[in-house]
Amino acid sequence: MSVPASTPALEVRGLVKHYPGVTALDGVDLVVRQHEVLGLVGENGAGKSTLLKALVGLVVPDAGEIRVRGEAVKLRSVVDAADHGIGMVFQEQSLVPNLTAAENILLGGEGPGVRRGVYRWDAMRRLAQEQLDKIGSNIDPLVRTDALSFADRQMVEIAKVLRIEQRSQHPPVIVLDEPTSVLEAKEIETLFAQIRRLREFASVVFVSHRLDEVLEVCDRVAVLRNGQSVGELAAAGAVPRELHRMMIGSTGSDDHYHENAAAVVESERPRLTVRGLSGTSFQDVDLDVAAGEIVAIVGVHGSGREDVCRALFGAEPVTAGEIRMDGKKINISGTRAACAAGIGYVPAERKTEGMVGPMSVAENMTLAKQRSRCAGPFVAPGKQAAVVDRWIDRLCIRTPGRDTPIQRLSGGNQQKVVLARWLVDGDIRLLLLDHPTRGLDIGARSEVYRLMRELAASGVATVLLADSLEEAIGMADRILVMNDGRVVSEVACPAGGKPSPLDLVKEMV
Amino acid sequence: MFAVLSPRFRSIENVQNMVDAAAVLAVVTCGITFVLLMGSIDLSAAGVMGASALTVSLLVANNRNDNDLGLLGIGVAVLLGCAFGCLSGLALVLLKVPSFMATLGVSAAGLGVATLMFAGVQPNVSDAMLKGWAIERFLGLSYLTWIAATCILVGWLLQRYTRLGRYAFAIGGAEEVLALSGVRVKPYKVAVFAVAGAFYGLAGVMVTSQLGAGLVQAGSGYDFSAITAAVVGGTLLTGGRGGVLHSAVGVLLVVVLTNGLVQIGVSPYWQGGVEGLIVVAAVAAAVIPQRRRNQVVK
Amino acid sequence: MKITTRPTVVLLSLSLAAALTGCSEQAAGGGGSADAGGCQPADVKLVGQVRNESNPYEASWLTGGDEFAKTVGLTQQRLTYGGDSTKQQEQISQLLAGDTKCLVMNVLPNGDSDTAPIVKGADTAGAFLVTQWNKPADLKPADYKTWISHITYNGVESGRQIGDALATAIGGQGGIIALQGVLDTAAAKDRFAGLQESLTKNPGVELLDQQTANFSRAEARTVTQTLLTKHGDKVKGIWTANDDMALGALEALQQAGRAGQVAVVGIDAVPDAVKAVQDGSMTATVSSDGTWQGGIGLAIGFCVATGKLAVKDLPAANRAFFAEQFLVTKENAADFAQPKTNPSDFECGNVFKRVAGALT
Repeated sequence: MSVPASTPALEVRGLVKHYPGVTALDGVDLVVRQHEVLGLVGENGAGKSTLLKALVGLVVPDAGEIRVRGEAVKLRSVVDAADHGIGMVFQEQSLVPNLTAAENILLGGEGPGVRRGVYRWDAMRRLAQEQLDKIGSNIDPLVRTDALSFADRQMVEIAKVLRIEQRSQHPPVIVLDEPTSVLEAKEIETLFAQIRRLREFASVVFVSHRLDEVLEVCDRVAVLRNGQSVGELAAAGAVPRELHRMMIGSTGSDDHYHENAAAVVESERPRLTVRGLSGTSFQDVDLDVAAGEIVAIVGVHGSGREDVCRALFGAEPVTAGEIRMDGKKINISGTRAACAAGIGYVPAERKTEGMVGPMSVAENMTLAKQRSRCAGPFVAPGKQAAVVDRWIDRLCIRTPGRDTPIQRLSGGNQQKVVLARWLVDGDIRLLLLDHPTRGLDIGARSEVYRLMRELAASGVATVLLADSLEEAIGMADRILVMNDGRVVSEVACPAGGKPSPLDLVKEMV
Repeated sequence: MFAVLSPRFRSIENVQNMVDAAAVLAVVTCGITFVLLMGSIDLSAAGVMGASALTVSLLVANNRNDNDLGLLGIGVAVLLGCAFGCLSGLALVLLKVPSFMATLGVSAAGLGVATLMFAGVQPNVSDAMLKGWAIERFLGLSYLTWIAATCILVGWLLQRYTRLGRYAFAIGGAEEVLALSGVRVKPYKVAVFAVAGAFYGLAGVMVTSQLGAGLVQAGSGYDFSAITAAVVGGTLLTGGRGGVLHSAVGVLLVVVLTNGLVQIGVSPYWQGGVEGLIVVAAVAAAVIPQRRRNQVVK
Repeated sequence: MKITTRPTVVLLSLSLAAALTGCSEQAAGGGGSADAGGCQPADVKLVGQVRNESNPYEASWLTGGDEFAKTVGLTQQRLTYGGDSTKQQEQISQLLAGDTKCLVMNVLPNGDSDTAPIVKGADTAGAFLVTQWNKPADLKPADYKTWISHITYNGVESGRQIGDALATAIGGQGGIIALQGVLDTAAAKDRFAGLQESLTKNPGVELLDQQTANFSRAEARTVTQTLLTKHGDKVKGIWTANDDMALGALEALQQAGRAGQVAVVGIDAVPDAVKAVQDGSMTATVSSDGTWQGGIGLAIGFCVATGKLAVKDLPAANRAFFAEQFLVTKENAADFAQPKTNPSDFECGNVFKRVAGALT
């Protein structure tokens, strides 16, 4: 069964997939060599996810072929793909939260772990441990999955995918779809070490929006645009701008973070003053944000920064400390009080906390208004429509109309609607942004950044929990580093005098 | 609390009495727990128990016919319950009828079958063994109680050590993940309903043993009591959380509650209301940890 | 007497109503009007409607209807509505939409509020109607032409009769417990009021505890068990508001090893209870004679439909009345063991023989 080393592990030729009204894949070619880490990048809508689905049998292409180790195959289900040694770690984690890690790893292929429908927990543990050992993870196989951290769950997921090795008797092809999007810096390092390790006995397809990461971990990078392969390049020596150019078809703006548009910080006008704020997962936090200032809070998973952010909006209980807005002490006992004080919050979980999927763009945009007392008089429906249209226009929200359900919009446009919710009022004074660019492509990110700059220029104070250190450094005027529930240092971050990511990482861990 | 208010509550006889009273509910709850774990709901208990009660009372020695099948008759009644469960499950996976409606329909069918068998004359059981289950005691507890304890043990083993039980959990946790992992979910769903049906069938037999007669209404009220007990015990209606042992605790709580209210002499006119409030309070207390992050309850 | 029930409480073996209607197809003997029919006996259509046949009492009611029908060479249409008010109304509307000329209905309304639409429908269609057990106090047969009679039973009376029988059985001294029916029903209230009258008359009897078991055999068993542990040997007797609960109490006694030591009384005279009275495990029950009820409603309607009785000639006491009921004890239990009808009860001259008092 030996396959020449030169034969690609996986080869895609001329793959085409039409959906009603859209051509998602328009003749894509892709080659994954044995024991290589291939990066796959492209803007949202470039066809990445359709291609990945075709690779694992979730989508049957209309034309073109997929070859595994030189042999043309038809993949009709996840099981088919697994039989040919292709497995995927899904972006939305695909683990059953209330089962043990061992069960998840072995799910659907328990082998000797289950005999005649009866579980042998010893065997289960042993089999799962074998998989975990392969990736050097020391997770207890019998712990429930929902008790694990996100990063550990990802390890479980990788271990699960590695089971396909047994099925196909060949080095597997592992597809990682956006694995880093919710990991913290340190966890990303661990993941990268993992990927390098996987290369020893597998081929890896790595999909990410973060070009710097792609270049760091991959051997080669393939670029998709509008459902077509537009080229590939060796990662060594390449720079993100090159990739970016290939993705959007022209050289992107150098000033990704719109640093030139940075607002003047009116330091004499402190907007938000927090003293000694303590809660269940953070202690004694001091925080000042001036009008027009963007302050980023960075920290690893568990540093407590998300909870501080939620506490400022009254969505997390506070045990001590005081919060002042424009010098006036406020008592934030719930989200309504925060809302009334002019504080807006854009949650990280856009799909569950940020928006109501089936409701229209207009309804989502005016949700805050209807549900709280922050706004004054009611807006007449006609007038409201005009307001909504104006913001759709101003933020370049791409939607068929204001009555379209928000769930039909792309991620970037959804996020803009969520942001607009706090802008329609006009009296927003402090914006809390929890990972506002998570899951957005470069183009959409850039627009969100531009919007943040505009808001700052109009005097809004911003607290940012950035998606990456680069984003924090690029956007913020000042950065607070949190570790273990406390603010451990503060780094000035003016345009032209940005600190390096390494400086920050040292403080974070 | 009840122990303070009524000295009788603590007495050994009363504890025996409560455990005995919990037996049938425990068996029904055992069955319903598996369905709830999947995130489905099962309202068929009342009908299935009625059908099984009539079946068993007509198959063992009784005053209506000359049958005297003994244990075999009991087995047939349990199998009948199992068949009804299968029916619910098949309606769910093949016809895509929501479990709520499918099981409600099966319950009506069960009551219909029971009424047909009833035919106007109540079958009284004269089978000594079946009647003995409710009367004979072993280590101070009636045989029925031991049967219920065995059911809980079997239920726990199913839940912990069989693919059926583990997959019931997984279906409640993340059904689509199972499908992505290449597991065929449907047969497991049907099997879970069938197992639940068998438990209801046995419960119908137990009620018949207690009442000495086959009643169409043998299971009346048990469907909702069982769901209440399961939820009070911490099994979530959304599936994926809880289990047989949780539910067993829930059953004890519910039984202690009804018994305690009688023992301390709460007026019968007040009991219904008081019981309802306590149940709501208990469930609220159980879900407090999940409410912390502004979650929406529907 | 009024009885309301919730649809779920199908165990309620209490209520019963009969409706009879008939219409003159042809003015026989020149006297045929809607309220004094002139139907040929063969043209009369007999309908009996109860909640369900799975309840021995209501089943015996339909049996009685069949037996009457046989005596006049007809068959009874048996209807059951499963304790569902809506279904009952639908069945009635369907009947009334058909040929109502010689229709005779013996109806058990599900609850008080269900009676009015049935009565009005029958009156408009000219169908002869006898109702039993349930009707609102202000709705009176006297105000209608084809609603011939409403028959019910005095619950206070039956509650007292078995209370007295229980007191005698325990020698006039000692503690008893009481199991009530569904608390918001008139039957439960009246019967319990009867027990209280009896307690006043028998000062040696002490009511230790009273609980509801919702007319249910299974609930009665559990509640009895609990009360037996609570009061122990002080319990000498158990008063229950119906026989199903009495039978449940008997099971509890047997399981507690106290069978035969505690006297039990109930109401309704369901076959199993009569048997229990016969063999001595139960002290007494009260019979309203379900088979008679099933037959009599049709008989009254038949007599009017065929012109042998005329509604306008009936005294007020026969339009709405308490019917005679019987205390069943060991001595006379054998007579009630095999529910049977006496054809002479249904002869037109005898149909009002069991009137025990006008319903006011």
